[in-house]
Amino acid sequence: MEARTHQKVTSRNDVFADKITTRIWEEVSSEDNPYIAASNRCHGYDLIELVQQKSYVEMFYLLFRGNLPSSDECQLLEQLMIGLISPGPRHPATRAAMNAGVGKSDPQNVLPISLTIMGGEYLGAGAVEGAMRFMRKHRKASPVAIAETMLVELAGERPKEGDWHIAPGFGSHFGGVDLTPSALADVLAGLPGSGALLEWGCEFSSALNREGMGWLMVGVAAAVFADLGFHPRYGAGLFQLLSAPGLLAHGMEQANKPITAMPFVSDKAYVIDYE
Amino acid sequence: MLSTMNEQDTSLWDKQRNRIVSKKGGWFVGDGVYCHAYDMMHDLVGKTSYMQVVMLNATGRLPERRVADWFEAVHICLSWPDSRIWCNHIGALGGTMRASAVASTVAGVLATDSRSYGIKPLKEGVAFIQAAMASLKGGMSVEEIVVNECEKHGGKPYIMGYARPIAKGDERVPAMELVAKNLGFSVDGHLKLAYGIDRELMTRFNEGMNINGYMSAFLSDQGFTPEEVYRICATLVASGVNACYVDMRDRPAETFLPLRCDDIDFQGKACRAL
Repeated sequence: MEARTHQKVTSRNDVFADKITTRIWEEVSSEDNPYIAASNRCHGYDLIELVQQKSYVEMFYLLFRGNLPSSDECQLLEQLMIGLISPGPRHPATRAAMNAGVGKSDPQNVLPISLTIMGGEYLGAGAVEGAMRFMRKHRKASPVAIAETMLVELAGERPKEGDWHIAPGFGSHFGGVDLTPSALADVLAGLPGSGALLEWGCEFSSALNREGMGWLMVGVAAAVFADLGFHPRYGAGLFQLLSAPGLLAHGMEQANKPITAMPFVSDKAYVIDYE
Repeated sequence: MLSTMNEQDTSLWDKQRNRIVSKKGGWFVGDGVYCHAYDMMHDLVGKTSYMQVVMLNATGRLPERRVADWFEAVHICLSWPDSRIWCNHIGALGGTMRASAVASTVAGVLATDSRSYGIKPLKEGVAFIQAAMASLKGGMSVEEIVVNECEKHGGKPYIMGYARPIAKGDERVPAMELVAKNLGFSVDGHLKLAYGIDRELMTRFNEGMNINGYMSAFLSDQGFTPEEVYRICATLVASGVNACYVDMRDRPAETFLPLRCDDIDFQGKACRAL
């Protein structure tokens, strides 16, 4: 063994904060117990007043953005939330929820299990940040020109089999153009609160259609998140949050069924091929 | 639209419907359980270590026992029962609010998919030393490798696997060197290079190799890729997280670092009316 002088282990004495800081939520303690909050404020607004006067979507926007949304922003976000509320029973994240449900996993674990899978980089939350950054980067260029350039320059990267996501948030799905994201994008683009990136994405998507590609759901979400002013790093978590209701609903639907209620691939259809 | 106008080729997916083709193995009721062509009950149980099978599943190769023993030892080095460590902290919070041991441990493990600590930096460390080896073979000197790498970070010694955060020096390196020596491993190319980088950094910055750097070089000499190391180490911190969970689960609820309202420094907007 080669001789090496080992440094004595010493602290770098990094200075850590004395307290957790936040700009989001203020808890004012009660007079007789410093651990009990007498009032809660979100970005300065009293929680009970928010409960009485504001919608969930307004509250949601306030929580992340620090101010209440305009009615146009509120409408755009609400319609996106409806559009993303369930990725459908075939989506791998939903299937993870259903698998946990029918497998009698603890109910409180069903959502974390499915959201973890929803974190994937392929049609999941892991793809949203990249899509937001892609559209922000190219927002001033012609979407049609960008699409045509990419189709030529990246042609060699097209996989021989399987889908091609030519850009984050855009590509083919099961060999074709995914219809639901395009339909959602078209509806959202017609709203008064719709923004420049959604418009850019619609044109980019249309330019890809002739090659069997277009919007993916993560792309639509990314465009709207960016137009609403969310930072790209928030994209993954927001996408998970908005898809959570559908994941949980599908998981719990299976939870009271016998374990035989979902397919278990037969030995005959289970093939081991080490090659 | 195009997707409805033309018949699309969905054969890739059609041939996978209702069918699983495994490259790993499987269980056939009444026949046996197979893992990478091994009969698990006859070839592996009682004949190999658990870590060997973990590595077999992660890489497709059954390593020799001493490599698995080395890996097991490094798992001890990289997961301690200190609830201040970020992933362990999550386990302790799970304990204090009565989440399950499984949920809390998995939550802590999940936290190690991090840019700052855990397994991803290890993957970067392996990638770095393998790239550095390619540079060395391409004619670059150790000094040039260090200078080039530091230049990417404004002249500072921020090389993955070197200059440990929080503390200087790393007690885990000599511990693992001893493990390697006792298991009969020699110091091969990547590790020699890592020691060279260590010497260069010590001379220039008084900073040295940390456990990531040592581990990355050693495993590169054993032929592992960055992705293989990441996969083998997927649950690297589970033991320490679980320990911190247990510590808090067996105490009164919400007693792990409880916070009074004024323990949070609110820096946001003052009270305002709707």
